[in-house]
Amino acid sequence: MLQLQFTKDTLPDSVINDFQNLNKFNEQQFTSLTEILFNFLLEPKEADRFLHQLSEFAGENGMSAGPLRNLMKSLLLLPHGSLKKNLTEDQVKEDLLTLGVSEDKADHFSQQWSLHYPVLSRLAVGQTLMVNQLVDMEWKFGVTVGTSELQKVGNTFLQLKLVIRKGNSTENVYMELTLPQFYNFLHEMERAKASMDCFS
Amino acid sequence: MAAISDEHFSSLQILLKAPSKDAVRQLCADSFPSGAPESWRLAESTAGTLSVSAIEAKELIAALHTLSHHILFHNLTAPEQILVLFPKSFHPSLKNLITKIMLEHSPPWRNEALSNQISLPHLVEMDWRVDMKTASDSVSRMAVPTCLVHMKVEDSSCLRGSGALSSVTVELSKETLDTMLDGLGRIRDQLSVVAGK
Repeated sequence: MLQLQFTKDTLPDSVINDFQNLNKFNEQQFTSLTEILFNFLLEPKEADRFLHQLSEFAGENGMSAGPLRNLMKSLLLLPHGSLKKNLTEDQVKEDLLTLGVSEDKADHFSQQWSLHYPVLSRLAVGQTLMVNQLVDMEWKFGVTVGTSELQKVGNTFLQLKLVIRKGNSTENVYMELTLPQFYNFLHEMERAKASMDCFS
Repeated sequence: MAAISDEHFSSLQILLKAPSKDAVRQLCADSFPSGAPESWRLAESTAGTLSVSAIEAKELIAALHTLSHHILFHNLTAPEQILVLFPKSFHPSLKNLITKIMLEHSPPWRNEALSNQISLPHLVEMDWRVDMKTASDSVSRMAVPTCLVHMKVEDSSCLRGSGALSSVTVELSKETLDTMLDGLGRIRDQLSVVAGK
């Protein structure tokens, strides 16, 4: 039973074999594969590009695309788990060595990991649940010139439109504020920001 | 809005039957709200106070309502501006009394008209809270601050007093809050430019 830090589950033998097969690649091939992998991690929506790059690699290096894809699937388990557990460069390297990957490959991979870690963790945080996320705010302010009751008025008003993400769709919320309310709102938001700044 | 006519002024002369100046004052105040001219209850109680028929009372209320709204609409603030509206044959002391009462009530009436005007839902209340996200399914340990803002808005297009109070809670990340404050700051700058002119 392997003691791994990036996952508590027992890895199937096929996955462990895939990791050990990494040793069959030479330095240049391993560097390219690592690059393709991290490109995908940094832009998870580009699945087609990822598969395309893998097919190209397979073609250039005289191997079949299918087993290569399975290998990469196994390999992806490591960065996903490490991101979840906030593993350091050394911990990632340790896990790779435990899995039987050679020292210099483990070194290279964990270095790439620490290089890309800030962006990757930001992406993971960005995927964290947000309730009624504010997506956009539009505003306009103007002066009321007259009404049906008062021929001449000169009141300033501020209108806000907030666009809120509710699940997959967005909802618009409209509201109007008087000037004193606006200044109060601004003041409260500045206090909230100051409070947030304390924590970062 | 109906224009003031001679019939209105002849109805106003019924006020000479009022028991006291305070009764006149009360009547002016009661006839201002928008539902007053249609209210039979008000007409009947007025008829009782002045010992006139209900029809005459109703006409009186309509006349007071039209006069007060005319004064408010054109923002007549000087006594001369109001006195000039009355026909020459109108009872002088009653004319002065009505003018005085109308001027007294103009500021609160104006404020009431301003607060009742149509608008988008008004912000009634606003609260905020800053939370710290410590874990999620995608990252098991993190320290990300987030801001929750809760706003209560009242839709004033509903009947006064029963405005539908709806509530919205919005979550903002630090970046969103910064961008929002940016926008709000620009509004403030524009407001001070306008105010400075």
